[in-house]
Amino acid sequence: MVTELNLEGKAPADIDDAAPLFGEGLGLDSLDALQLAMSVEERFGVRIPEGPEARPIFASVDALVAHIVSCASG
Amino acid sequence: MRIWVTGIGVVSPLARGAGETMDRLLAGDRAVGSLALFHLPGSRVDIAAEVRDLRVSAVAPGGDAEGWSRTDAMGVIAAREALAQAGLDPRGAAVDLILGGTTAGMFETEAPLAELSRELLPDASTPHFIPPEAVAPLRRMLSHPLSSTADHVDSAAGPFRQVRTVCSACSSGANAILLAAAWIRAGRSRAVLAGGADGLCRLTYSGFGALAALSPEPCRPFDRRRAGLNLGEGAAFLVLEPEEAARARGARPLVELRGWAVGAEANHITNPEASGETAARVMLAALARAELSPADLDYVNAHGTATSLNDSMETAALRRCLGADADRVPVSTCKGQIGHTLAAAGAIEAAVTAMAIARGVLPPTIGLEEVDPACVLPHVTVQRPARIRAAMSNSFGFGGTDTVLVLAEVGAFPAPALAPTRPVVVTGAATVGPLGVLGVEGSRAYLDPGPEPSPGPIAFQASAHLDVARARRLDRAGKLTTTAIARAMAEARLEMAPRAITEAITEAITEAITETATRAERIGAVVGSAFGSIEGCTAFMRRVYDKGPKFASPADFPNLVPSSPVGHASIYLGLRGPVFATCDLEASAESAIATAVELLGAGEGDAIFAGSVEEASPMIERCLGPICSGITDRGARSEGAAVLLLEAEETAVRRGARVLARVAWWRSWRSAGTGGPRPLAEAPRPSSPGTCAVFLGRDDERVRRALEGSAWAEVPRRSVAARAGDHEGAGGFAAAAAVGALAAGEIESALLLGLAPDRGYAVLLVRPSTETT
Repeated sequence: MVTELNLEGKAPADIDDAAPLFGEGLGLDSLDALQLAMSVEERFGVRIPEGPEARPIFASVDALVAHIVSCASG
Repeated sequence: MRIWVTGIGVVSPLARGAGETMDRLLAGDRAVGSLALFHLPGSRVDIAAEVRDLRVSAVAPGGDAEGWSRTDAMGVIAAREALAQAGLDPRGAAVDLILGGTTAGMFETEAPLAELSRELLPDASTPHFIPPEAVAPLRRMLSHPLSSTADHVDSAAGPFRQVRTVCSACSSGANAILLAAAWIRAGRSRAVLAGGADGLCRLTYSGFGALAALSPEPCRPFDRRRAGLNLGEGAAFLVLEPEEAARARGARPLVELRGWAVGAEANHITNPEASGETAARVMLAALARAELSPADLDYVNAHGTATSLNDSMETAALRRCLGADADRVPVSTCKGQIGHTLAAAGAIEAAVTAMAIARGVLPPTIGLEEVDPACVLPHVTVQRPARIRAAMSNSFGFGGTDTVLVLAEVGAFPAPALAPTRPVVVTGAATVGPLGVLGVEGSRAYLDPGPEPSPGPIAFQASAHLDVARARRLDRAGKLTTTAIARAMAEARLEMAPRAITEAITEAITEAITETATRAERIGAVVGSAFGSIEGCTAFMRRVYDKGPKFASPADFPNLVPSSPVGHASIYLGLRGPVFATCDLEASAESAIATAVELLGAGEGDAIFAGSVEEASPMIERCLGPICSGITDRGARSEGAAVLLLEAEETAVRRGARVLARVAWWRSWRSAGTGGPRPLAEAPRPSSPGTCAVFLGRDDERVRRALEGSAWAEVPRRSVAARAGDHEGAGGFAAAAAVGALAAGEIESALLLGLAPDRGYAVLLVRPSTETT
């Protein structure tokens, strides 16, 4: 995520896995969401739906991981 | 002074021809259908509004079609129509050309570029040019530079006296018309053909797809169910003339161009400012320029892309701008019928707005069935007759570059007053190049003898100059540009006043100046680049070809438009005035400087950073550079950004700026359109020998020929390419070095000279006389 979103000055360890990714927390925006969705699909073959359905998946690193794991194992 | 529109030309997905396009728009026809021009396997969307049956070979002069793009062909057809309607023949009259573009020959070159990067340039460290025998098939690359469309319109519909290419993403076509108005008001032009042209290509298609901005169905502007835009393609031009010149040659007006304004949101590279504050400010500024009020407007041709964010922002902006009149003034957009034609959109929509006024009819918004509660306006969904005294046309581009035009019925309102052209001064300069990040004094070092720069990227640590967390979206060109502007800004002590509060928007426009600070709304940036983000485009397309369009990078796409470096600088630094790019091969820096002088002179902003940016690029070094310039013996190319800070003299003096030089004279020209070989004949004579110099990016045979016969032929020449890098933007470094030499009292006057095949620019800078310092 740090590389894909070019989060300069941040290390993976700096990101709280439970903290919100967007707005407060890490402060990502909708363009980051698109980039993240694209790279998740590229790396894990897991599609993230567009629009409001993506909201809970992008709630935090933990939520995103849970989505990827459930899709990959389902 | 009134500006008349005397000719209109349009190529749209609905028809070839302005009148035919308008007929079909009024009939409610839609051109959105299955994409046939190319196929992108795995694309989630497969519709667009194409210009069908376009044969480039039918437009390009015999044997030249290989180096022409569809964009060029559409541009030429529209240009010829506009000139014919105006009854104007550039072969017998001094006509100027301004074109707004974003993709030019991208469709024709995106595949070869991706292939070249794979096969011809396997190892970026191999220092070889493409062998001459391989160059011939690569003639197609001639259509790649953004300036090539204007070049081809010039060759097939000209010759024009001077030619300019501007880019501000989706407002490019509108900005071409705005610059034309500046030229006419300043008395620099008696006729300008201004507009935009843009063809569909895989790059924009997969890029907008990656941004989830493409609707899988015909789009629904302002509708509750809108799901994005349809891409379209096309071209449009207006012929603009001052009333007295048009009358003198017996031309008849279709409408008047009355108002125009440009401003930047400084908000986000892709998302519009939700409040619509900047768009509203620019609309109000355009009305103020037109000397009209919202009560005078009878129609708004909206940007109306049908993306979720644009349509609600534009509604909010229209409500802010129009007040109570927002419930009266009819609004429509043609994007549901011809799609979003990107750089052509502002020009096509200005043409549609003009025809609506001239015919007395309101064109409809097609695709709108259920108005979104966030988009409530008096939408026109079926055409109806109406007298339109004045109308506004909105255009908003990536990076938040907003431009608004106001057109009016001929003679419906008193002629707007003509403000005198404002003198322009230089108050700063900075360079980011092989010698580091330097200001006015330091940039003189590029004039000193010394070692050539090493080939490839310069040693530039962004983290030493920028807040890298805030600058994370900036690509290399964006970082170089932003650093150069920030350096010049700090050294010249250009301070920004706090943002105007919303209620005082109108006041902010009319009363632009506080005592020592300049309002951000009056500070802009115009930066030139010959080939834009060529390495970025190539990498983006390789990914699309290798992995499929759904893996196109949404974050990288906005960096591929030529106006991205200035757009990023505007966002990072908060510059809210005119922000766009110019493109004119190796004269791109001089093109940007001339454009900034013209904008400031016309009152578009009080301070503009102008110069060039070029990235290290094997593709330019070995392929595009030699093919487009004809020069194969360049020194180390290197890279860098260089800007001057230009200010209107009155506002510079008022804020107590140190004036380093005055812009005493400037010209741009085309060899074929000047009617003579000596464009510099009119240049003021140099001050006494030994106190002046000609400043050049690169000194070669072309320079000698351009100076021949002028009073400047015997003046010492100083060039910087051997130290700054022998790249297309070296002229920006020469300009900064010239300002350094003037500021140091080393010389009294400096002639900046920028040349590229068949074109040139000259800007004369002189040391301020004692009474003005």
